[in-house]
Amino acid sequence: MLSPGATGAFENRQNTEARLIGLKAISLVLFVFLVAAFWVLQVLQYAEHRERAERNHTRTLPLLAPRGVLFDRHGEVLVQNRRAFRIAIVREQSTDLPASIRRLAAITQADEAQMLAIVQRRRGDPIFRPIVVIEHATDAQVAAVVAQQLELPEVVVEQVPTRTYPAGGLAAHLFGYVGEVQPAQLQRAEFAHLSQGAIVGQAGVEQVYNTLLMGTDGNRFVNVDSRGREVEELERQEPVDGQRVQLTIDADMQRALEEAFRADGYNGAAAFIDPASGEVLALTSLPAYDPNDFAAGISSSVWQALNADPLRPLGNRLIQGLYMPGSTFKIVMAIAALEEGIITPDSVIGCRGSGVFYGRSFKCWNTNGHGAMTLRHALEQSCNVFFYTLGERMNIDTINKWAARLGLVGKTGIDLPQENASFMPSTEWAARTRPDGRWYPGETISVAIGQGAVTVSPMAMAMMMATVANGGTLQTPHLMKAVDRGKGWEPVPSAGPRSTFVMAPGHLAAVRDGLWMAVNTPQGTATRRGKIEGKDVAGKTGTAQVISNDNKAAAQAAARAAGRNPAMYDDHGWFVFFAPRDTPEVAGVVFTEHSEHGYLSAPIAKHVMETYFAKKEGRPLPVYRSPAAPAKSVVAPVIAGAPAHGGGR
Amino acid sequence: MALTSVGLATIYSVTWNLTTSEPGGEFWRQVYAVPVGLVALIVCLSVDYRTLAQRSPLLYVAMVLALVAVMVFGVEAKGSRRWLNLGFGSLQPSEFARLALALVLAMMYGGDSRRSARSIGELMVGGLVLAPAVLLIFLQPDLGTASMLLPVYAGIAYVAGLRMRWVVGAVVVAALLSPVVWAYGLQDYQKGRVMTFLDPYKDPKGAGYQQIQARVTVGSGGMIGKGFGQGTQGAYRFLPESHNDFVFAVLAEEQGFVGVIVVLGLYLFVIWRSLEAARLARDRVGAFLVVGLVSWFLCQVVYNITMQAGLVPVKGLTLPLMSYGGSSLVATLAGFGLILNVRMRRFTN
Repeated sequence: MLSPGATGAFENRQNTEARLIGLKAISLVLFVFLVAAFWVLQVLQYAEHRERAERNHTRTLPLLAPRGVLFDRHGEVLVQNRRAFRIAIVREQSTDLPASIRRLAAITQADEAQMLAIVQRRRGDPIFRPIVVIEHATDAQVAAVVAQQLELPEVVVEQVPTRTYPAGGLAAHLFGYVGEVQPAQLQRAEFAHLSQGAIVGQAGVEQVYNTLLMGTDGNRFVNVDSRGREVEELERQEPVDGQRVQLTIDADMQRALEEAFRADGYNGAAAFIDPASGEVLALTSLPAYDPNDFAAGISSSVWQALNADPLRPLGNRLIQGLYMPGSTFKIVMAIAALEEGIITPDSVIGCRGSGVFYGRSFKCWNTNGHGAMTLRHALEQSCNVFFYTLGERMNIDTINKWAARLGLVGKTGIDLPQENASFMPSTEWAARTRPDGRWYPGETISVAIGQGAVTVSPMAMAMMMATVANGGTLQTPHLMKAVDRGKGWEPVPSAGPRSTFVMAPGHLAAVRDGLWMAVNTPQGTATRRGKIEGKDVAGKTGTAQVISNDNKAAAQAAARAAGRNPAMYDDHGWFVFFAPRDTPEVAGVVFTEHSEHGYLSAPIAKHVMETYFAKKEGRPLPVYRSPAAPAKSVVAPVIAGAPAHGGGR
Repeated sequence: MALTSVGLATIYSVTWNLTTSEPGGEFWRQVYAVPVGLVALIVCLSVDYRTLAQRSPLLYVAMVLALVAVMVFGVEAKGSRRWLNLGFGSLQPSEFARLALALVLAMMYGGDSRRSARSIGELMVGGLVLAPAVLLIFLQPDLGTASMLLPVYAGIAYVAGLRMRWVVGAVVVAALLSPVVWAYGLQDYQKGRVMTFLDPYKDPKGAGYQQIQARVTVGSGGMIGKGFGQGTQGAYRFLPESHNDFVFAVLAEEQGFVGVIVVLGLYLFVIWRSLEAARLARDRVGAFLVVGLVSWFLCQVVYNITMQAGLVPVKGLTLPLMSYGGSSLVATLAGFGLILNVRMRRFTN
């Protein structure tokens, strides 16, 4: 059976050979087909597949640059950075995005809906770019994610440098805050190179000097495996830190200023200037916010609370608030009258407690009358009638000219964002804006004591005082002292004076004397409040009406009936100053809201100046003792039935 | 003979490749399988294939029993029972089934010159022989290996005189039956594979992932490849089973189109030479035996490589001689031992 039979063997062999050739042909065809297939894949579609393979295994991970550190004028660190972590999700790595988010929310105990909303908002981003879903992760959240990294290849923990500001919101309006770049901002050239999610300065110095402070983010290019685990680093572009910036601020004065404000329970604003250079030594606006709340990615509840707060803590009163200057404006009147030759330092004007100008009676605050006054005594005692008389002898445009030279018209030009322009009326302004186009001379009488249509920012008042202190040079206030671009501190020059005039020495002496007397004589309006032994503080008080005296009582009664605090209609108190009288080193303004009296601002100014002198002379820094009765403020108890009074002191 | 060693060198280098700079356990296990395979080859060479063919019914029964043993005592892995644990290592009997099958079918159709595969009845007899092995492997379940027994049968039937009209008829019947098979015969994961094959981007992270990544792996190799050990797709595990079913894709990535041509050329050369051995065979048993084995080899090589180009649905089929898998390597080399056996004894009588 096994031996092949002779019959048909040849035929069979032929047949078999033919079929073997058939098999060879089949295999050849199949292999040609395979070669063709690989030709298409490897040669024709090479570029496309190559790119996909690269994308598969390379990742670009950001190395975030820390923002520049801010120093005070003596080198004390004010604002620095700490390490924080954020948790991001890479959609490309996720097979089921909602499930990934659910898992991540579960292990971090975070809000799943919020994460979904963030991812939804950023759905237009490239799919490989991490989307930050937890901006400032707690240690526990980071630990939870790291522990489960293998199950969560799509989740990455990124280290981020985060701003730390001094505690308690110190100098909040000076520093400002940082936040995510807004879609509208991305359209601007300044931010054109940034991508969504970048952190930029959104207020204060952080905003104005953002370009210097921001630095340049670096990148790490890494190979990852299919689980998203990093295998090796291919290339590293180191981030470039933001530049270090030295501010003109003196940290001790800044602390002294805010301590005193808080001890007295006032809101308000203040600035302390080096009159020679325009450098700002300290500034504040209260109430404030805590910039640290923003650094940690502000929560919507905190943001809403800040925006809804009737006291408007986000606004910078120092440069945005516009108030009537009250009696502090008498300094402008004095200089204008002297320089225009209307009076001499020895001219005498009598005060009988009131005066009639343009057919109408204007009261002095001292209804008994000050008697015969020279300029020095008029400034010392803030005599209204003396300055009404100057207002009668000068037209509004002359006053406007001198107000401008002293910095009370327009913006001061400080390097902070969103400054409002101070305003002085003029005939040109009246012609342009009023229906009848007229300025009435009677209005000039009110302006002469800082009432009526004149409104100034506290910062402008500080610059006015600095200009008086330096004898006529209106400097541009500035906060940037030096910048370190990597080669040590380079001083940053100020923008230079806005205008200069040279006051006659006799005129300057008369004004300085009058202001010195206001603080240092028993008759002075700020006596005992602002005086520093041996430092010859010169100053002037003023009150800014919130509402006209005629309407005040009615408004307060209405507020009381509505359950609101009637103190909201109380006058604001001004104190402007410089010291020492003959060689001024520091000038400025303290503005306290609803304090009713300018002299209640003086102790704050005094404390900060004492701090200045103590530091300069190497003495221990003073401790603030608040005046016995904390004055009225919006947060203080209401004092009922505040009497109406005419004019300011 | 020389080119089987070239094939060996290819596995060698490719196995090295995919375990990157440090060869892993898979590499060494594969290396250990080589001498075992060579021993198997020499064993299959040394005994006259006719002696083996005469004993083939016995061998085949033993094989079926081994497959039954797998059903009962087999080691389960990845959801199927394919391996027998022999204490010193595991063995995959299904890989050896085709050897026994080729022997028994070659004997059946070639042993008696009056016999052929011209009639339905004769075809059916072969089919009955084939059925238990296919069924047992299919039940493991290992659809790939089971279906790769069919070329052995088909190849032998073809040279044994299978009428072409039966082939045409079978194709027609298959076309008619395919919707029925689709509805009742296939498991969900198998349907999924077919669906993803038709549109891999419908589920790029799931079922289509392997196919897409295979294409990316192959395509990114370009003309000359990324270079030995420079592949990223396999090394970073973007391509699953890269040391296994998809070893050729890694070769294509690292050695490029040029490497593909060389390896395809080697495979074609092996097939060509084997078919030559069939032609030169002293008798029909030898020729049929060779054809049965070559048919399997051709089908599995072509299917696997086509799959790695992403042109046919992904199926768990290894690439003979190159893929990881000791049993497969040993069985394949044993098969070549049989082929060489036939060639060597072409002049003896």
